[in-house]
Parts: sequence; structure tokens; C-alpha cells
Amino acid sequence: MKISLNKTIAALLAASTLSMAAQTASAAELNMWVMADTTQQQQDMKDLLAPYLAKNPSLRVNVTVLNWESAWNKITAAAASGQGPDILELGTTWVSAIASMGALEPLSDQQQNEVGGAKAFFPVLWGTTHRYNDSKIYALPWYLDARGAFYRTDVFKKAGINPKDAFTNWTSFKQAMQKINGMTVDGKKIAALGYPGKNDWNVVHNLAPWIWNAGGDFLSADKMHSAINSPESLQAITYYTSFAAEGLVPAAALEKDATQIESGFFNGQYAVIFSGPWVLRQLNTPKAKGGQMETLAAHNFGIAPYPAGLKGNQSYVSGSDLAIMKSSKNKAEAWKLLSYLTSHDAELTYSKMSSMLPPRLDAAYDPSLMANPNYAALVSVVKNGRHYPSIAAWGPLESVYLKNFGNMFDIVAGVKGKYSAQALKQALDGAAAEANDVLGETN
Amino acid sequence: MRARKFDVFPYLLLLPAVLMMLAVNLTPIVQGLYMSLLKLNQYTLSQYLDAPFIGLENYRRVLLESHSPIRAGLGFAIRNTALYTLVVSVLAIVIGLGVAVLLNRDFRGKGLARTLLLLPWVVPSYVVGTLWGFMWQRDVGIVNTVLVDWLHLLDERPFWLLGSNSFWAIVIPTVWRAWPVMMLIFLAALQAIPEDQYEAATLDGVSKWKQFLHITLPTLKPVIVIQFMFQVIDNVYSYNIVSMMFGNGAGHPGEWADLLMPLLTRQSFSYWLFGQGAAVSFVMMVLMLLFVGIWMASFKRSMISEE
Repeated sequence: MKISLNKTIAALLAASTLSMAAQTASAAELNMWVMADTTQQQQDMKDLLAPYLAKNPSLRVNVTVLNWESAWNKITAAAASGQGPDILELGTTWVSAIASMGALEPLSDQQQNEVGGAKAFFPVLWGTTHRYNDSKIYALPWYLDARGAFYRTDVFKKAGINPKDAFTNWTSFKQAMQKINGMTVDGKKIAALGYPGKNDWNVVHNLAPWIWNAGGDFLSADKMHSAINSPESLQAITYYTSFAAEGLVPAAALEKDATQIESGFFNGQYAVIFSGPWVLRQLNTPKAKGGQMETLAAHNFGIAPYPAGLKGNQSYVSGSDLAIMKSSKNKAEAWKLLSYLTSHDAELTYSKMSSMLPPRLDAAYDPSLMANPNYAALVSVVKNGRHYPSIAAWGPLESVYLKNFGNMFDIVAGVKGKYSAQALKQALDGAAAEANDVLGETN
Repeated sequence: MRARKFDVFPYLLLLPAVLMMLAVNLTPIVQGLYMSLLKLNQYTLSQYLDAPFIGLENYRRVLLESHSPIRAGLGFAIRNTALYTLVVSVLAIVIGLGVAVLLNRDFRGKGLARTLLLLPWVVPSYVVGTLWGFMWQRDVGIVNTVLVDWLHLLDERPFWLLGSNSFWAIVIPTVWRAWPVMMLIFLAALQAIPEDQYEAATLDGVSKWKQFLHITLPTLKPVIVIQFMFQVIDNVYSYNIVSMMFGNGAGHPGEWADLLMPLLTRQSFSYWLFGQGAAVSFVMMVLMLLFVGIWMASFKRSMISEE
């Protein structure tokens, strides 16, 4: 009773001072957490929000930039305590976990329709906005990370190999790599392929498409058990690691991280690497702005999909989604901002800032982006893109695989016993057992 | 002797500090102990201390059940931590003491030498981890360049960040960073030894080495005992160097460079097993308290009698 009386008085007061009321009624403040996706995130967010804030002059958006390394702990703490921002960025593999903690506000059918719904986005990314066995949508795709092969066109030409043939299947890819390995280019010996071993957070992502294309998987169909030691997965991992075991990937690459491997590609150490859109951006950015545009590699590169295995030609796709937290006190304003951020214009702008791809189809196929043939090649990979299963326990599971694959590369590097399919099988059995323990703990 | 009247005043002065210690030390310990009795995982984290109470179940899983995820690789981590702690502590003290003895005399540039030698200690440990991570690289790292290209000590370029060598890859930078502060403390202690003891010994014809064994070492014993204890505590809880050297916390150091703290952080935070993580931490704390208690008790009498 008292509250409603207060409200009445407030309303009367507001009505009497109409000009002030117009401002205070719509005055709102939103807090937003994003990760450092660009080199100058705070400034880029300011620019990205500027057109929206110009139309909503009384809105204030406080952007907090988190590092990817610490974001997970901060977000889980926010989710656990119920004290977080209104809108937050979530890695696509995190949505299920945070949603399972009950921290995210589901989006209604009407809200989904407002932004075009599932059909407006790449299906592979839409799949990350909800749990695999739950139709409730908890987030909207914000940007997309697609991986493919970056290769040196001049090297392939010199070796007399048609890249299209080389990236057709596993056999042709291996043959091409054998032919290229050790060729002299620009006065230097070039290695066929470069990939990191254990000291990198991409190790699982790097192996994923090979495992899928062999018909293997990380999880059983019922998502209850690990499938990493299946014959198909073993075949894929044996094939992938054979490049290092046979010297087509220099042994020294195995102790490097992804950034060092990428700079190896820019410097002409490797003819092929598998990587994502940020490499494309670096190859298109002049040195003065921190890019690699003047290198020989930047003048002679192409992008190809992963070579097809026996059971498919999928590639690894991930990215980030945006979600509204259940604890938000201003869900209506938060939703309006979220629908702006996932609109055609905002996703297009943000993809140019972050160098990632827009997950919204009309933005991804925007003529201004498609004019670059290498961009077009990378976008075409997304059609066959695949994401990890959207389960709450993916985070722990990926950590188990990261650790065990890392140990496996000690075998590949020859510093821990003899490299053989049997040794790999043993390592994978260990990984599967540990993964099952973790699944048993979290399910 | 007349019994002194009980004086409240000093205790009143101590009270704020005691309350502060209780607040910042005891509260988290009690909370940690309580957490170790809860089923605290990803689904119950939002309930935090209201999560289901499961008694000693976490301890049973950690200590008795081999299939507990938090135990994967625990054996390696315990072995590595024990070896790492022993090797680092002994080396840091031996090098620190040796250099302190060498520096404890008059020579030109003494001040400069002491300052320069302290430099490694000034570098934050996560920077040490990152920098040595580059230095250990097989093909471009300075370590192999010196060992193989310049000194020709080795025929082949070894891996330092893969396989069993990675144990030395974490030991050496830790020693490199730890000994200077040991040196500083020993230097201060050495200066407290009266010069006439050495003069008398020299007059009696005692060699420098014997002087070191019979004058320096016994006098420094209390300092060494305490420093060794601090080193053990520091090194058992070592985290930064391992974490930074192997993929900034993202990678995996492998069977030979994984220590207890990185393992515990990884497996309780990334596997979301906070209750079990708290249980392991508590076991570690008890073991550490036992070590400190036994260590101090076994040296207490000798330390006091010599003072």
C-alpha cells in the first residue's frame, strides 16, 4: 500500500514537471561485459554503440572489457552470485554451462522473431544459443570464427600442384605436403605444414575437424560418454600427428603456440597452416598498422577448406554469443540493445573491427565483404561448419582433452616413448577414461 | 621472585592485529574447510555455502578413489612438486650462501655487484615464466644457441619444453629468481658474525674452509633453518612460472612439469569440482602445517641454545 502511494506521488510529481519527466522516464543505464576481441576494444565498442546512443540519448552503456583468460572465472562468479551485467558476451561453448546455472534470461518467440529467428543466422551458430536437448534460446550469435587452410599459392605453383586437388582428401593432401616439404622458396627451405603441439589453447579445436571427418566424435550419441578412443578418432589423430612424426611439420613447431605458428607462416617457414579470420586480417593489414601485408606470404596466399576425410568435410566453427542475464534490472532496455548489436549493420561493423565473420547471413554475405575473394573462400567454409555439442559439461571436457592431447604430443615429438598407433591408442584410452570420470561427476 | 601483576595493556595493543589476522586468515580457512564438506560443482555453485552437505565424501573421493577426476595426474604432480621443492630450495640456499660469503669482503664496486645480483629477484615470477618460455625454445631459444652453437656442449638441440627436460625448464628459472634474496639475507647474517672469531682462527692456522665449516655455518644455522622452511613453503605453492611457461595457463605442462598448484587450479576450476578442490587444498594445508611443526620442533632447541 505504501509503495503504491509513493508511486502515485512520484507519478504526479513527474507529470507536473513534464519536460523533466520525459528525460527521467527513459533514462536508463546498462552494464555490458565483452571480451577483448579487438586490439582497442573500449574504443571500438564506443564507435559500435555510437549510432544507437545517438538515437537513445538518455541511455548510458557502461562497457567492461574482460580478458579471455580471466573471463570464464568472472562470468561464472557473476552467474553464481547473481550480480553481473545486463548483457554479456559468452564464448559459444560457454552458453550451455552458464544457462544450466540458471543465470541467463531466455528469449521469447516474439523476441526471436524480431531479429529474424533461427533462419537469419548460420545454423551452426544458432545451435550454440541453446542446449542440445532444450529448445529455449538463451543468447544470440554475435560473431563467428571459422577455420580453414591458409596456403602459399606460389609454393603450390612451384611444386606443380593444383591446390584444389591437394585439399580434396586426406591422401591428396598428404601427397602434396610430401612434395612441398623442404622446397627452397625465396632462398629459404620451407616446411610443408605448421601446427602447435601442446602449449596452446587451440589444440582441441585444431584436431576437431579431422576427428569429425573420419567419422569420430568427442562424445557418444547420448552425450553421456567419451568417444575419443573410437577407431575413427584414433585414425584421425594418427593421420594428423603423422605429419609431425614424418617431419612434414618441423618438430620445433610442437612446442610453439598458435601465434608463433602464424608468424612462421608470415615469415615463410610453413607452406600451409590451419587458422581463422584473424590471419586473413593480418595478411590484409599494412605493417605500419601491425599487419603483414608487405610479406611474400601476403602476396601469395589462398584459403581452402579442410581436406575431406572418409566420412565428411566439416570444419571447426565457433565464435561468441550475446546474452541477457537473469539478474538484469532493465531487461527491456537490454533486449533493445541486444537486438541492435545483432542487427545487420552492427554485426557488419563489428566484424570489420574484430576481423571475425558476422553470424547473421545477410551481414556475412554483404557485398562489401564478399568483394574480397579470400573472405568469400572463408565464408564458404561455414556451410560445412560444425561446433562442439552444446552441453553444460563441455568446458570441463575440453580441459580434459586439451591436457591429454597435450601429453600425446610428447609422444609425437619423440620425447616420451616411441611414436606408434598403439602408443596413441593408449593415450586416448586414458583421455577417454578421464573424460568419463569428469562426465560422471558433472552429469 | 615476585609474581608480576597481569598487565592488560600489551594485549589491548595486540588486539587489532589479532582480529585482523582472524578476519583475513581464519575466515577463509574455515570457509574452505566448510566448502570441502559440500557437493559444490557447476550446478550447485550458485547456492555456494548452501550447497548439499555431503560430509567427508569429497575426502573419500580424493584420497581413496582412483577414478576421481581431480586425481588424474596427481601422482606426477606430487612427485614433481617434491623433487622441485627439494632441488630448488637446496640450490637457492647453497648458491645464495656461496655468493654471500664471496661478497662479504671489501672490494671495489661491492655495492654495484650486490645490486646487480639482486636483479633476478626483482623480476616478477610470471615475467620469468614468460621470458624463460622463449629462452627454452628448441630452435630459436638462447639456451640451445649457447649450449649447441656457441659452446658445442651438445650435438643435438634438445627439447626443453617437451618431455622430461621440462622439469629442469621450471627448476632453473625458479632457482635463478630465488637465490638472490637468499644471498641478501645471508649477507646480513654474515655481517653480524664478529670479525675477531675469524682473526683468532687464522692466527691458530685454521684454513678458510674449516673456518667456514666451524664458524660460519654453525652461526648461520638458525637463518638457514628458517630460510629452508620458507623456501619449502614457497616452492610447494609455486604456480606462476609453470602456468606462464606452458601456454599462459591454457596449455598443459605435461607429466614432468606439472606441479600441485597448477594441477589443483586446473582441475578444480576448469572441471568445476570446487568441493573436491577445497578438500585437496585442506589436505595440503594440514601436511604443510605438519612439516612446519616438525621442522621447527626439531631445530628449536639447538637454535635457542646457540643464541
